[in-house]
Amino acid sequence: MVEKVPSQHLARTVAVIGNPNTGKSTLFSALTGVHSRIGNYPGVTVEKKLGWFEFEGQSVRLVDLPGTYSLSPRSIDEMVSVDVLLGRQPDVGPIDAVVCITDASNLERNLYVVSQVLDLGLPTVLVLNMWDVAVDRGIQIDPVELARRLEIAVIPCEAHRRRQLDEVRRGIIQACQLPQRTPPDLFPQTFHEEARQLQTAFQQFGNQNLPIYLIERLLLDVGGQLETALTKPNPAELLTRLKAARERLATAGCRVPGIEAKLRYGWIKQLMQGVMTVPDKRPATVTDTLDRWLTHKFWGLLAFCLTMFLVFQSISTVAEPLMKFFEVGQKQVGGWVGSLLAPGPLRSLIVDGVIAGVGGILVFLPQICLLFLFIALLEDCGYMARAAFLMDKLMTKVGLSGKSFVPLMSSFACAIPGIMATRTIENRRDRMVTILIAPLMSCSARAPVYWLMVAAFFPTVSWAGGWVTLHAIMMFVMTFFGAVVAIPIAWLLKKTLFKSETPPFVMELPAYKWPSPGIVLHRVFDRASAFVLRAGTLILATSILIWSASYFPSDHRAEQQVLVQIQQAEDQFSSQLEQKSQLRSRRELLLEDQPVPVQSAAESSAPIEALAAQLAELDAQLAELDTQLQPLHELFETRNQISERLLADSYLGRFGKWIEPVVKPLGWDWRIGVGVLASFPAREVIVATLGTIYSLGGDVDENSQGLQSALKSATWPDGRPVYSIPVAMSIMVFFALCAQCASTLMVIRRETNHWGWALFTFVYMTLLAYIGAWIAFNATGWLMTFSGNS
Amino acid sequence: MRFLRKVARMSSAISQTLPLELLATGEQGTVIEVDGDPNLVIRLEEIGLHSGVVVRMIQPGSPCILEINHQRYSFRFDESTQVFVDLTP
Repeated sequence: MVEKVPSQHLARTVAVIGNPNTGKSTLFSALTGVHSRIGNYPGVTVEKKLGWFEFEGQSVRLVDLPGTYSLSPRSIDEMVSVDVLLGRQPDVGPIDAVVCITDASNLERNLYVVSQVLDLGLPTVLVLNMWDVAVDRGIQIDPVELARRLEIAVIPCEAHRRRQLDEVRRGIIQACQLPQRTPPDLFPQTFHEEARQLQTAFQQFGNQNLPIYLIERLLLDVGGQLETALTKPNPAELLTRLKAARERLATAGCRVPGIEAKLRYGWIKQLMQGVMTVPDKRPATVTDTLDRWLTHKFWGLLAFCLTMFLVFQSISTVAEPLMKFFEVGQKQVGGWVGSLLAPGPLRSLIVDGVIAGVGGILVFLPQICLLFLFIALLEDCGYMARAAFLMDKLMTKVGLSGKSFVPLMSSFACAIPGIMATRTIENRRDRMVTILIAPLMSCSARAPVYWLMVAAFFPTVSWAGGWVTLHAIMMFVMTFFGAVVAIPIAWLLKKTLFKSETPPFVMELPAYKWPSPGIVLHRVFDRASAFVLRAGTLILATSILIWSASYFPSDHRAEQQVLVQIQQAEDQFSSQLEQKSQLRSRRELLLEDQPVPVQSAAESSAPIEALAAQLAELDAQLAELDTQLQPLHELFETRNQISERLLADSYLGRFGKWIEPVVKPLGWDWRIGVGVLASFPAREVIVATLGTIYSLGGDVDENSQGLQSALKSATWPDGRPVYSIPVAMSIMVFFALCAQCASTLMVIRRETNHWGWALFTFVYMTLLAYIGAWIAFNATGWLMTFSGNS
Repeated sequence: MRFLRKVARMSSAISQTLPLELLATGEQGTVIEVDGDPNLVIRLEEIGLHSGVVVRMIQPGSPCILEINHQRYSFRFDESTQVFVDLTP
């Protein structure tokens, strides 16, 4: 998919701009197919999306600009868009033409940004997307007349049905051949004069090459990005002149910023007269019906909770068997690689370090994909905006607005895009609070920890005919735990460090639509490959580091001898081992097929008795085999003892023992402590680290399949099991609250422009995690003894 | 809130103008004026809430849901922002 974008000189460069929710991404991917690449503009975190296509022998580079209602640069995103359009973005180069994408069913509002684009004088193509929606609503538009009045190409299009795409492509190619246009002049003469005077002032202070377009925008946008960006040479003097110019304009009856909307909407009204007819009667739509329920004070909230629960229930239903399958696969690969290599450091590195470590985390790929799939579906069908609307009421209670909800919701997939999405929040204090609590939302990297703990230590109980399981409930609770803790934190931050009024809330609620498979799958693919990449780099490196720390400096010769003996014994007993695994799988099958006991029905007892008899017979055969396999068991026992000692003597073991007093109050042994410490750069490392530690440190026999069973059989030196429900809870709560992600902290630094906030986030979350885990451990322990006694 | 609406209705016999948040479900009106912090006002205007457009109240409250040209928006204004509409019977 990574092909070379045709170079600037061979291809024409065309910028794509439009309001949010106009199907811009759909059209972009329909035009370019797989030929697209996502990156960042240098120096800023604005996403740069490039694509290209060839049509009738001409190749075109498309630059997708972030969706916007206006070109007045109030955020970094909008600033980059303006720079690209003016050809001031060096890595994009000059722009040959602009494609404006509009929603035909809501054309007047969409034309606002179009009128700002037309002021640039670039050859422009106007795409009336969602033409079918407009037709359904009885809206009639005459594109030919509109094109004549605007003197640009106007092309109706249905991007989601891939209709009229060639017309759009042809329109773009033709526009590229056209010369610069004379922009329609909406502003009075005094405005242009003030702009020219200001341009001269800027030239005096050494800012020679400012296009008049930027000066005009500077005049119009009170408090915008340009005020700080352009006045750098001499802020005091230039700002005074700017203010004076605005005051002169106001006395001349041209008050900024209000004048712009007035003039542009006046122009649009005139333009559309006789071009568009809208029926008086408003037809009822599916969105009406859906919104009546989904935004309802009570039913809406219920639907939200239900949706969230269904997401987690289906992830756990679909993914648990898949995860088992992957774990068996991982074990087999480990065994296969192990059989190829002689016992020694290399085999240990590959089997215990790489396969048990990195493989342990890759097992969770199906769940991660499903989680991203659901979030992408909810975003693309239009539900996310409704959720933000419902949440605004709750958010105002802590002093935030519904605007903060969308970044927080996407932080459930990953805090990094979540924190970057806070740029849509205009209020700085609100944005800061949202950034600081975003890492508390349960991201996908926490999920493996929860899945591992829940699957290993919570009983498989289900209700409602298997539709609701305890595992899914626990996953649901853990996932929202961080969000619940975030409420008082946000309230506290808004009361202390970021004291301000609750800001107003304005948000578009797009009409519901079927999610577009292309866009959804693309997003899932992007996130999944990022996850695999992380497993292949950061987690691989940490796994190897952890492996070396736990392998050295001890002498492994005795262990290797035992391993050789085990291999010989396994060859010797191979028929018995095979028989045993067959018997075990038959036993499991029997148990799974067992019908649900119905107490009232007397006839059901007969099959149950038959089953019991079969089971007893199998168990007897298994016991017989086990006596035959006794020498092998003894060898495993010896290996485990040696490994245990070797691990305890390793660098990691010594370090672990040293920190054990700190983690003991949380119910953890030194291995968990080391695992948690190693996972500060990236939290999912814990799974890999535990995988390596348990693979090296014994606690395995020939039945061990993956990390789950290793955790279940881990013991303290006195023989008590290490893991119990309180320990699992303590680990989960710690991971829910701790800031264990270096990338998130880097993004916080970049977005807040200060290391201090990254440090602040790290300290407050780690403290919170330690206290939370201590409470969780003791409270669950107390609850369990209490319920056990009563 | 209900009292305010009643008062506004009584005065609406004289002028048809009332604050936007007093529209009831399904009522619609033409925006006369958007008043408040200039930066918020221009943003409201950019997304389509400007004088002359017809707004329809879908769900009153705070935040409310409004419809402008079939497009739905969710709004919650602060105290300083006022939108006045002319009620369309």
